[in-house]
Amino acid sequence: MNINGLTVAEILNQVAIDIEDQKDYLCFLDGEVGDGDHGVSMTIGMRAVRRSLADLPTSYLPSDVFDSAAEAYAVEVGATIGPLYEAAFAAAGDAARDKKTLDHTSDWLNIYQAMFTAIQELGGAELGDKTILDSFHPAIESMRVSVAASSDLADALTLAGQVAMQSARDTKDMVPLKGRASRLGERAVGHQDAGATSIAIILQSIAREVAKLQLQINYHFTL
Amino acid sequence: MKKLINDPFDMVEEMVDGFISANDDIVKRVGRRSIARLESPIPNKVAIVVGGGSGHLPAFAGYVGSGMADAAAFGNVFASPPAKPIIEAALACDSGAGVVFIYGNYAGDCLNFDRAQDTCREMGHDVESVVMNDDVASAPSSDALRRRGIGGMLWVYQIAGAKAETLASLGEVVEIAHRANENTRTIGVGLSSCIVPANGKATFALADDEIEVGLGIHGEPGMKRQKVAPVDEIIEEMFAQLMADLDYRNQRVALSINGLGGTPAEELFVVYRKVKALCDAHGITIAHKAVGEFVTALEMAGASISITRLDLEMEILLNAPVNTCMFKKLQRESSSA
Repeated sequence: MNINGLTVAEILNQVAIDIEDQKDYLCFLDGEVGDGDHGVSMTIGMRAVRRSLADLPTSYLPSDVFDSAAEAYAVEVGATIGPLYEAAFAAAGDAARDKKTLDHTSDWLNIYQAMFTAIQELGGAELGDKTILDSFHPAIESMRVSVAASSDLADALTLAGQVAMQSARDTKDMVPLKGRASRLGERAVGHQDAGATSIAIILQSIAREVAKLQLQINYHFTL
Repeated sequence: MKKLINDPFDMVEEMVDGFISANDDIVKRVGRRSIARLESPIPNKVAIVVGGGSGHLPAFAGYVGSGMADAAAFGNVFASPPAKPIIEAALACDSGAGVVFIYGNYAGDCLNFDRAQDTCREMGHDVESVVMNDDVASAPSSDALRRRGIGGMLWVYQIAGAKAETLASLGEVVEIAHRANENTRTIGVGLSSCIVPANGKATFALADDEIEVGLGIHGEPGMKRQKVAPVDEIIEEMFAQLMADLDYRNQRVALSINGLGGTPAEELFVVYRKVKALCDAHGITIAHKAVGEFVTALEMAGASISITRLDLEMEILLNAPVNTCMFKKLQRESSSA
């Protein structure tokens, strides 16, 4: 595999498309307990990310892609999600700094872990507060197991995406302690968290893109 | 969805362009999503910077002008502005006398205004923040720091704005803004939902015969849903919530009845009539009053009642003239305080 800057940009472009495809669903989840704009904020951010990718220089590293995504979220989004994703993408950029390719499962474990830590530090939430962290964290733990087991990258990312989506569904049982939904307390139980869902969509999207890449390589190898 | 818009994702940009053109005798653009009074920075005057999500006009940009705010940052619909436009707003109006950020208590606003404050301070500007939390429905009084900021900002901005116009110090303006906020309580009632343009669908659903007391200005659920009732009964219940939270009996107050965007002014006056009667019954003197749309939630139907318990200083400050983009009043002679 050769996940270089160009490939990371292609992955992020697809992530942006997948998030926009799920805009209405994310708004629906948010509308049940919050103000119904999570899908809109994420779409605004991801559209800005796609525009920023078009402005990248002719040759760039994976970290440059993450850095420009961070800037896009910083300038265009606002709300809580803007600074959180700005921090997450900036941390991803730092974790990938100077690397020409991100071909190893451990590269992506480091990136996910850095994003998670940045979100947790800025947002101040704890696990179990019914936030992004509650789907992201189990996905990272799954990546850690995959690294220990020397799983191949596409398998590790795919499993992490599945774990994240299942964990997002499990946020239904949690009582929110952060964000607008927190003022609802027990009334929010039974509703799936929108932020936990959007990060799961992102992780699944990354996994699908990398798996496609893997398939292409296998295909060429067989020939 | 039927709205007077083009691409929903362009609405805020196009609104900001129109807003600035329509108010070019009062404000100037100081960033893509930020405005300031034409005269900014005003020598020796503490500057007040406001801001928040779009969808609430006249809040927040509508209150930029003399007697209220010096600058404002626009966010996306129902989303706090990022730090950048807040910083642009602050830098444009700081004369060196300092800046006060006054905004509502929401996670996104707190995060972005805090980041803007940190950046401005690093650049050598004196910046303080006052976070408004007047919505009694959003948390119990024992947990008041978690309450949202809603309609009470009309009084907080005027009191702080009038104080700043006297060339008071940064500390004095911050103190009275806090004092105004601490003496202000608001409760709202929602009758119908609103549609975030880029979402395209109603944020939530209320049955034809249902209302929600305590509904937030972004459609966040409130205290409870109930069957619609004659307005006097609804207002009695809402007024009781305010009275239970702050002792207004035999006090002088500022009272505003705020329409959320989809309720006719006629109904707001029906509400005012009932609140006035309840004030009379509790020995409350209405020293200042306003009925209209001050903090809206797009086309949501409903209203909120804000009452600020006044001391002599706040009452006198509210006599000052205001000439902002969307709220104007003439100098008032001192009332019988």
